[in-house]
Amino acid sequence: MSDLQIASVTKHFGETSVLKGVTLDVKDGEFISLVGPSGCGKSTLLRIIAGLETPTSGNIAIGGINVTQLRAADRNLSMVFQSYALYPHLTVAENIAVPLQMRQMSALQRLPVLGSIVPGARTQKDDIAQAVRHAAEMLEIAALLDRKPGQLSGGQRQRVALGRALVRDPAAFLLDEPLSNLDAKLRVQTRAEIAELHRRLKATFIYVTHDQVEAMTMSDRIAVMMGGEILQCAAPDVIYEDPDDIRVAEFIGSPKINILPVERNGTALTVFDQVLNSRLSIDSPKVMQMGLRPEALQLTQSAPRLTGRVVHLENLGSEVFAQIALDSDGSRVTLRAMPEQRQNLGLGAPVGLSFDLNAAMIFDAGGARLRQVELAATRAAEVA
Amino acid sequence: MVAIDPSLAADVTKPKADNRQARTGWGLAAPALILMFLILLVPIIAAGVLSFTNYSLGNPSFDWVGLQNYERLFTRSTYEKMYVATFTYVVTVVPISVGLGLGAALLVHSLGRIGDIYKTIYFLPVMATLLAMAIAWEFMLHPTIGMVNRTLEMACGTWFEVIPFFADGCAEGFPLWLGDRDYAIWVVCFIGIWQGFGFNMVLFLAGLTSVHRELYHAAEMDGARSGWERFRLVTWPALGPTTVFVVTISCIRAFQVFDTIEAFWPQGGGPNKSAYVMMFAIFEKGIQQNLIGIGSAITMLFLLFVMFLTLIQRWLVERKVHY
Ligand SMILES: Nc1ncnc2c1ncn2[C@@H]1O[C@H](COP(=O)(O)OP(=O)(O)OP(=O)(O)O)[C@@H](O)[C@H]1O
Ligand SMILES: [Mg+2]
Repeated sequence: MSDLQIASVTKHFGETSVLKGVTLDVKDGEFISLVGPSGCGKSTLLRIIAGLETPTSGNIAIGGINVTQLRAADRNLSMVFQSYALYPHLTVAENIAVPLQMRQMSALQRLPVLGSIVPGARTQKDDIAQAVRHAAEMLEIAALLDRKPGQLSGGQRQRVALGRALVRDPAAFLLDEPLSNLDAKLRVQTRAEIAELHRRLKATFIYVTHDQVEAMTMSDRIAVMMGGEILQCAAPDVIYEDPDDIRVAEFIGSPKINILPVERNGTALTVFDQVLNSRLSIDSPKVMQMGLRPEALQLTQSAPRLTGRVVHLENLGSEVFAQIALDSDGSRVTLRAMPEQRQNLGLGAPVGLSFDLNAAMIFDAGGARLRQVELAATRAAEVA
Repeated sequence: MVAIDPSLAADVTKPKADNRQARTGWGLAAPALILMFLILLVPIIAAGVLSFTNYSLGNPSFDWVGLQNYERLFTRSTYEKMYVATFTYVVTVVPISVGLGLGAALLVHSLGRIGDIYKTIYFLPVMATLLAMAIAWEFMLHPTIGMVNRTLEMACGTWFEVIPFFADGCAEGFPLWLGDRDYAIWVVCFIGIWQGFGFNMVLFLAGLTSVHRELYHAAEMDGARSGWERFRLVTWPALGPTTVFVVTISCIRAFQVFDTIEAFWPQGGGPNKSAYVMMFAIFEKGIQQNLIGIGSAITMLFLLFVMFLTLIQRWLVERKVHY
């Protein structure tokens, strides 16, 4: 069993508080992506799980056993470092073999010359060479096995670092942006390899990434971190469709979600003085924010809820993203349209937009989701 | 006005301009080149030439003696003693001072603030001149009133006498140290190590700061549990270039040892010439006895050793320790 519990972990570096009480339960065999803006503490959290950094307070348990006091080497985890951390004096093959040699061979067997006459060393060495070759072929670095890290490109180094981590069979894998330096093709391919490996080994993965596609496609759950806290940890579709916090909604999704200011006037919900419905309860806040994904907006001629002009157009082939400056306050919203609608979207063309209130997410001024308000609003819409 | 073909004009002026530039370049470099030649190369060439003569300072002329000086270097027993003393010193002082320097650097590096205090203390002998320190050592090692033998005598009558050294010492007196041909060179070695390892420590400390910290974390994740395993996997390879440099510098310094010997035995290079090292031989022959020819020959031999060491260092750095 290698489930992982992170219980209210905090970390201070001197005065600065980097982690502010992180709690996360990872089930055995689960693939968790950790996403968040640069500097939010992802690497720090990963290093605390690994045991390379001690938390200021809180506990880490692996398989139900508290390992907070256990040293990193004894936690049986495997890690890809953001900076790769390859041994510069060893060849690629030797680098990948190090974790196997350290953990499978005795100190006697590892001795340079004497080691080979110790019983069992020969077969051990062959097994390790086999495993190294296998990992290298998977990551397409078999041709580089005799080179030193200094003679590799950034992407190649990253694959060696990945190989060194994947060659073992640990309780859990901790990967810190392992694909950040690969080209698009290799990234897709390696992504599939890692997903395949995850299915095959049924090991626990914690995967730090900046790439939303990686997070959305590979993970069982995504944990969105910001400012040293996990804002939400849920399945990718939940994170996208039903975020708890405006920061989560803004961070996930590309292009970014549109945020519009909404107000409550009496019982009416209004956007730019236009009444959306009038069934809100009096105790909901006066000032709120409404989130609309680009695909929730539709072009319309009759009775548009919002009007504006096209200021920028991005044609991706299968879809078109148009930035529209609203007439009411000049703020910009992004619309996703189909390619056949392009003729209506010339630069500067006036457009009308409508949206379904069901697809809107409402947050309070501080950013917390207001599901009560949404419920009231949509029920009212149905009645109307 | 005659119309000049512009392309022709360019063809003529361009080489001229190039020439002028080249001449200016040489002109500007000349002072440095001349100085280098005069100050660095001429003395060495002069020494090389003199080593084939019997020149003495003040003599109006000299004779060419061919390889006679060098022949002496390889046949006379005095010079055999010189090689024994020099190589004993080098072979003892270099490994021990490098090893101690590395050990001290690792220990000091693992300390926080207090490390600075250790650094200063270990560096003190390096900063003090060896000549002044030699006087202090001479006093301490004095056979009868010296601190060393007085301290050793305190062990007489205690269970220390089980050790043969103390048993002999208490019965027949402790060694004369500087006056004993069996001990003299070792005392010089000891002082060389005492004086040199702080310098090596500082060099190793500089090397240690360049070790990527993340590599220790990677080693830990890969299962390197003991300090020795981490040292083998990360520290030692990272210190490769530093180590080659430190060993070379230590070797050259060891070949150059002179001031301790001059301070202890100004007249003869130790009891029975047991501490008659190369530098002292050069000094004695070339300066004290005014035998410039033989002094130059030893100098050339010395340069050969040092050059050889430097070449080994370059080869090692290029082949083995740069990644
Ligand atoms: N040893 C340290 N001492 C002081 N501050 C540190 C230390 N390590 C990290 N920090 C700070 O902690 C914060 C989080 O760092 P961390 O490396 O975890 O960020 P991250 O989320 O991994 O960012 P990125 O996506 O850029 O890798 C940063 O503001 C950083 O400056
Ligand atoms: Mg990071």
